[in-house]
This record gives sequence, C-alpha cells and structure tokens, in this order.
Amino acid sequence: MESRNRLEWIVLAASLVAIAAVLGVLVWEGFGDHGRPPLPTVALHRARAYATAAGWVLPATATNKGDRSAQAVTFIATARVRGREEEATVTVDYLPAGSDVEVAFGFSAEPDGEVRVRIAGFLP
Amino acid sequence: MTRRRRPGRAFTGPGASAATTARQLVRGMAGGLLLGMPPLFTMEMWFQGFLMAPLKIVVLIVFTFLIVIGYGAFCGFRRERTWPDLIIDCVQTMGLAALVAAFALWLIGRIGPGTGLLEAMGKIGLQMIPISLGISLAGAQLADPEDQGDEAADLGTEFSTPEFGAFGRLFVAAGAALFLSLNVAPTEETLFLAVGGSWWLMVLVVAASLLMSYAIVFYADFRGGRRRTRRDTLLDYPLTETVVAYGVSLLVSALLVWSFGRTAGTPPYTIVAQIVVLGVVAAFGAAAGRLLLGSGGAGGGNGKP
Repeated sequence: MESRNRLEWIVLAASLVAIAAVLGVLVWEGFGDHGRPPLPTVALHRARAYATAAGWVLPATATNKGDRSAQAVTFIATARVRGREEEATVTVDYLPAGSDVEVAFGFSAEPDGEVRVRIAGFLP
Repeated sequence: MTRRRRPGRAFTGPGASAATTARQLVRGMAGGLLLGMPPLFTMEMWFQGFLMAPLKIVVLIVFTFLIVIGYGAFCGFRRERTWPDLIIDCVQTMGLAALVAAFALWLIGRIGPGTGLLEAMGKIGLQMIPISLGISLAGAQLADPEDQGDEAADLGTEFSTPEFGAFGRLFVAAGAALFLSLNVAPTEETLFLAVGGSWWLMVLVVAASLLMSYAIVFYADFRGGRRRTRRDTLLDYPLTETVVAYGVSLLVSALLVWSFGRTAGTPPYTIVAQIVVLGVVAAFGAAAGRLLLGSGGAGGGNGKP
C-alpha cells in the first residue's frame, strides 16, 4: 500500500480543522439559543478624542452583544457643550452579532461634562 | 514508472511526491479563486454571511460537498480509486476552500480581530462554496494533460457506463448552475425583477431558458456540444436532458432563493417568479457546465462523435 506524502497529510489535517471550525460554529449557532435579540452598545474612547477645525470628534466602538445581527443601527450621543445641549447621530449600516464597528461622534466643541449615548432605532 | 496525478482529482493521493502535491495545491487555489473572485467582491455576500440563518449556510455547504463528490466520482473514478480515497480528496477540496476563503477575506479586510465568530464563519462558509467548485474544476478540467501522464489515454473507456454519464452530467449541471447563480442570488436584482415581471413574461422567460440551454448544448456547435448522442438511456435524448437539466437549475435556484431569505413573508407568485428569474442564470450555468464536460479533459468521450 502506497502512503501519502507528508504535505498531503498536512493538507488533510488543516482541511479537517477548517471544516470543523466553519460547520461547528454555524451548526452550534444555528441550533443554539437565539433568545437574545440584537443588543447594540457603544463604548466611548474619550482619551482618543481630538479637535478639528469643524468641531470635536469622539471615537467610539459599537458592539452587538446579542445573538442576532442588526441593520441601520442609529446611536444618538448627547452632551452639554458651552452650556447648551447638543446631539450627535451616527448610523451603523450593519452590526453583526458579536462584532465591533468603529464609529465617531461629532460636537461643536469639547463637552463640559459626560457624554451619554442611546439607541434611536435599528432594523432587527 | 512513477505514478503521476490521476485525472479528476484535486489532490494527489497515495504515491505522489510532495512537489507534485504542492503544484496541485497552488493550481487548486488559483482555480478556486478564479471562480470565487466575483462573489468575494460582492458586498451582499459579506452581509449575508451574518444576516443569513447559520443552518442555511450549512445546507448550502453540504449541497456543494455532494456536488463536489459527484463531480469527482464522475470525472475521476477509476478501478484503483476507492470511495475513501474520493471522500478524502473532496474533504481536502472543501478544507482548502475554507482556508483560501478565510485568507482572501482577511486580505480584503472583511474579517479581522473585531469580527465576531459567527460573522467570520458565516462569511467563510458562503465564500468557500464557489471556491470549492473552482478547486474541483482545476483538478478535473484545467489540469495540464501532461500532468495526467499516460492515464489520460484510456479515459474514454473508463467512464463508458452510459447511465452514469447522463447522471454525472446532471451533477456537473447542478454545480455550474450553483456557481453562476450564486453570483446573482444575494443581490436585490432578482427580487426586483420578480416583483416587476407579469405572469406572461415569466412564462416567456421559462420558454427562453429552455430554448437557450437546448441551443447551447445541442445546436450552436460549441466545442463540447453534442449533435448526436448515444441515446442509451432516457436522459441521453436532447429534449429530455434539456428539460431535466432545467429542472435541476430550478431546484438550485429555489435552494438559493430560500437560503437568502427571499421566501419568508413573500407571496407564492413572487417566490416562483424569483426562482424563474434566477433560473435563467442557473440554466445558462448548467448548459455551460455540460459543454465543459464534453469539451475534453476528464469525463469526455461520452457522446462527442
């Protein structure tokens, strides 16, 4: 009986791992608990904020901690800037379950106090 | 003499040198990417990777795996080639497709550290479908005949069972239909055309699909086309083969329409219309696939005079 060469064995092993990973995750997710709807959240990165000629930019990471993907997720950030309430809106076209998307909010200047974010809506 | 590559397989199997295996790996990757490139650059394919129900992607992968096995069996089944050998070959084809898909998606920035596990595997799972079809095509049809050694000479007699020939052609038709319609299925256009088309236009579309696939294979004198066939089984007749191949195309089309979530909450007419519209693309693929099969390489010699 002829034997397969070492490269063939490596390809076969890598193939089995790759297929097991793809099918394993898909089947596990497919039969898994999908009770959790999309749970979009935002983590603000105030330390990385910077000023531009057109205003103050606050980078943030949008994350979906749910089991299902969401589309057209709109976040509204509010803050008090120079004594007036200001709103900044960002829409993420696709926010897959478990994935991060980098976004940024804009204000006319650096807010005086805390920046709060809420969801304005999304397509489940 | 040294045994070289057996025709119809993407990989070498027992007795081949590592150098030969390496060449075949590279050929497989190239063939896989050749077919996989258009879906790789299609936005909807990325999004469907996480919008689709995961089990639907599994169904598509299993369907593709069956086609790859059927294609491999039809093109390269030989006496000394056992079923375990064939299955191992096809597992390698699917596995290499997954690895190539993962690497390509990473290169174009569609998966990375911030990507969720399900999103990544969904994208890889979808993209590995056309890539795996390309790898088996590279193994069976695109290989340099030199590489097949003197084994290519006795190909014709090896696959002379006519039943298998007609049946095998349908496997190839299904594979080619899947590949071509997968380029179109995830986009909005099929739904748009289906909603816009009236019923008599759909009937005309069916007629045109049948006519075109008949003409491509049996009339237009393409290389690999057939004027006279053996007609040993019912499926060998041009009319029956055309109708059955169209049926296979519609099945593939229906599978994709369902997979990409175009059936839920959709009226029956719109579902049927989508299947017919996508069926045009599938039927063209099925016809082209059967041409390819007849045009030499492995699996030929079954009807070309």
